[in-house]
Amino acid sequence: MTASLTAAGPDAPAGPPGARRPRRRRELSVLLAVVACAVLVLVGSVFPIGAVLSAALSGEALPRYAEFFTSPVDLRILANTLVLGLLVGVAGTAIGFLFAFVQTRLDVPGKRVLHVMALVPVISPPFAVATATIVLFGRRGLVTHGLLGVEYDIYGLDGLVFVLSLSLFPVAYLGLLGMMRGLDPAMEEAAMTMGASRWRVFRTVMLPLLAPGIAAPFLLLFVEAIADLANPLVLGGDYTVLAGRAYLAVTGEYDTTSAAVYSLILLVPSLGVFLAQRYWLSRKVRTTITGKPSGSVHLITGWVRWPIYGLAVFVALIIAMLYGTVLAGGVTKVFGVDYTLTFDHLREVVLGVGREALADTTTLAMIATPVAGIFGMLIAWLVVRHLGRLGGWLDFAGTLGVAVPGTVLGIGYLLAYRPDRYIGDVLVLPALVGGGAVAGGAAAIVLAYIVRSVPAGLRTGTAALSQVHRSLEEASTNLGAGPMRTFRTITLPLIRPALLTGLSYSFARCMTSISTIILLVTPGTQIITSQILSAAGTGRYGVAFAYCTVLTVIVLAGFGVIRLLVGRTATLNRIAEGRQR
Amino acid sequence: MTAAGLASAQPGGGADAPGSAEQAGRLRLDGLTKVFRTRGADPVVAVDKVTLDVAPGEFITLLGPSGCGKTTTLRIVAGLEEATGGHVRLDGQPIDALPPQRRPMAMVFQSYALFPHLTVEQNIAYGLRVQRRGKEETETAIRIALTSMNLVGLENRSPHELSGGQQQRVALARALVVQPKVLLFDEPLSNLDAKLRGAMRAEIRRIQRRLGITSLYVTHDQDEAMTMSDRIVVMNKGRIEQVATPADIYFRPATVFVADFIGRANFIEVVPEQVDEGGATVTALGRTMTVPAHPDVRPNAGAYLMVRPETLSLAPAPMGGVGTVLRATFHGHSVDYEVETNAGTLAVTVPGPDPRTLLDEGANVSVAIDPARAYVLTKS
Repeated sequence: MTASLTAAGPDAPAGPPGARRPRRRRELSVLLAVVACAVLVLVGSVFPIGAVLSAALSGEALPRYAEFFTSPVDLRILANTLVLGLLVGVAGTAIGFLFAFVQTRLDVPGKRVLHVMALVPVISPPFAVATATIVLFGRRGLVTHGLLGVEYDIYGLDGLVFVLSLSLFPVAYLGLLGMMRGLDPAMEEAAMTMGASRWRVFRTVMLPLLAPGIAAPFLLLFVEAIADLANPLVLGGDYTVLAGRAYLAVTGEYDTTSAAVYSLILLVPSLGVFLAQRYWLSRKVRTTITGKPSGSVHLITGWVRWPIYGLAVFVALIIAMLYGTVLAGGVTKVFGVDYTLTFDHLREVVLGVGREALADTTTLAMIATPVAGIFGMLIAWLVVRHLGRLGGWLDFAGTLGVAVPGTVLGIGYLLAYRPDRYIGDVLVLPALVGGGAVAGGAAAIVLAYIVRSVPAGLRTGTAALSQVHRSLEEASTNLGAGPMRTFRTITLPLIRPALLTGLSYSFARCMTSISTIILLVTPGTQIITSQILSAAGTGRYGVAFAYCTVLTVIVLAGFGVIRLLVGRTATLNRIAEGRQR
Repeated sequence: MTAAGLASAQPGGGADAPGSAEQAGRLRLDGLTKVFRTRGADPVVAVDKVTLDVAPGEFITLLGPSGCGKTTTLRIVAGLEEATGGHVRLDGQPIDALPPQRRPMAMVFQSYALFPHLTVEQNIAYGLRVQRRGKEETETAIRIALTSMNLVGLENRSPHELSGGQQQRVALARALVVQPKVLLFDEPLSNLDAKLRGAMRAEIRRIQRRLGITSLYVTHDQDEAMTMSDRIVVMNKGRIEQVATPADIYFRPATVFVADFIGRANFIEVVPEQVDEGGATVTALGRTMTVPAHPDVRPNAGAYLMVRPETLSLAPAPMGGVGTVLRATFHGHSVDYEVETNAGTLAVTVPGPDPRTLLDEGANVSVAIDPARAYVLTKS
């Protein structure tokens, strides 16, 4: 593979004069890598999504659209979904903005604690917040009923917005934090020297500059909220959303055609937002102009900071309370009623019924994580360095895994891989999903894990690669290393922090994913998240909390192992720092 | 016509206009000190008892190597940084308590800090809108600023659609339209290429002179400081080394640091025999002469004779002489020689060399010092 450079050399002048100059072939190894990535995205996302589309646009399905758009029930569901997305988008972005603002612009104590608190929801398992919310703020909630003496019905839109905003706001927070830190302080200083007050600077300079930064997390949260299946399942009550409806169509009514129709309708806003972000918003990003950023940030020291700070602390306290409930609920008999310390729930999870689920989930996630991490980096590298127009498509296909709602992807897997596939009479692909599936459906689950986690690595990888100057890789090939060797020995070590992030994220995502997986589990393969759902669904909150705690511990342990394996030295940072000096 | 147009927008701007007392802009820094404290590290004294008097309409440059405290000083004046000690006075009034937005000053930033979400016109109008000037006044002022800064036709462009020079002019226009009493510049030309820099220098200086706005200009480029300033403040390690006109800085440097930082200099160790009004009598390269001297120079105490390379003259001296050419570097417009003498190795620059009298390495030469262009200063 690596010898191609020297091999091509002597051949070139040997051709007969006047003959067509032989075109330089693409490196075989790169070609193989492209093929591998293409196969992964085709099998993992393109084909299943295609299956959904073809089912949703088949002759049999077409009359359903007329039904959908005339049925008040169905229209109600559509409206519910959009309203939920909108409210969560607004609330989550607002909380994220609040935290980022406190972090970057206020002169207050305890900012580090607030930062950590804002990141806690990132690794939290699904249902953890929802279940804790029911226990604290539900009809018999510890706070609502116990302290305030009201019977508050948390099931429905209010509960969903509350839970989803708190679970999803970290994404908005991190994005806005980066944006606010990146703002050239001279911008604000310039406005100040021209006589603008703090409020005016905020209104006329800071907000407009951040506008695209606010739009992006809003859209992201919108999509995540409408795609969410886990929370509506336990907290929706009679507030039905599209994802839940599609899930019900598959699991309750065995009506895959309806499911495909609901999926398509859910796909339209999701993919629309995704495409809008990719092709429109990314171009409108405003960058600061020429010159290095200068000056320093002027923290707000007036009394105004206290109410703002108070608000953030209040939110942080709610988060602390929710996760405290998860922790405490796992080791008490019935949290809120009987606070006797007990290890029954934990025992059931670790040694009893849950043992198999723990082992299965961790094993599958451990298989999927490195594959997803490497493929994420590989696709990023191919797209940034080796492929032109084709790269855009590969990047797009690689990102589809998260652009498409998990429920839709799950339905796609059902449609695509439940039947055995024959060509003629020959079985070419046995069923991957369902009762008699290969390896109890494990293959499909791993594939789904990979496809859902590749995009994170792809993003961080692309960002990291744009920081590594091409000349480093050119020097390597110039010294005789082939492209794959260069990728392995030069590129990958340089973007190791991105790999670390990608792997950690993949692992967390695998362990906590639910919306796709819930449609793929079989009696042969137990998954923790679906166990939590059944525990929470049957009111065994203690067990659900214990699962959540154990799951979180496994995820954190996984982070530690990944860090140990990949190494903590942030090579790229060192390079960047070195350049600044 | 350019700058004149801008001036007419400033009633009371010219020295002859009525109300010029209100426009004065006398800036005084009084023992200004800034100490940066970071936890776990020694406190850093960035600005150390800086005292400076800037006359109305004067153009003063703060010059020094990076880290000398010049930018911090400027930012304290702007109110963007709070001093640890000392005062800033404007027309006699201390303004230490005023936040930046209440100080009648405008700053041109190194990065220009143009608002990317606003057009050229909106950028320039920003300060006027903040001050709630009337609509007509605002429009007139913008029109005049655009015309005088040669920005007509670019009103509706975004800053990122402009060239570096155009961005620079917008930044200047934006600062000027608010009619500040003091203009502050933080290395505004460092992001431009050499040619544009020269043109902008002249432009800034012309407009500043015409409007008579007190200006404080930070740079590390000595050429910029020399060509633009009424007076230069040379700073080092947070302290002022010398405040003087460009010519005095060059020919009468107060310290070795200043002599070395501005241009190139040879230092010859001497012991002045006699010091009086006319200067110090010193002996160097076998010749006794009377050279202008720093007031601190004392007779019979070690001192330096500072000689600029281009003020030395060389002549071939085949029969001996005082030195030998070690190295000759031909630049075209000049030749640089390194000449070994008993007073050390001297740098000599011969401008406009004559091809017939180029000296080879190894040639014996005599070296002549022009006493009027040399200077005696104390060691340390």
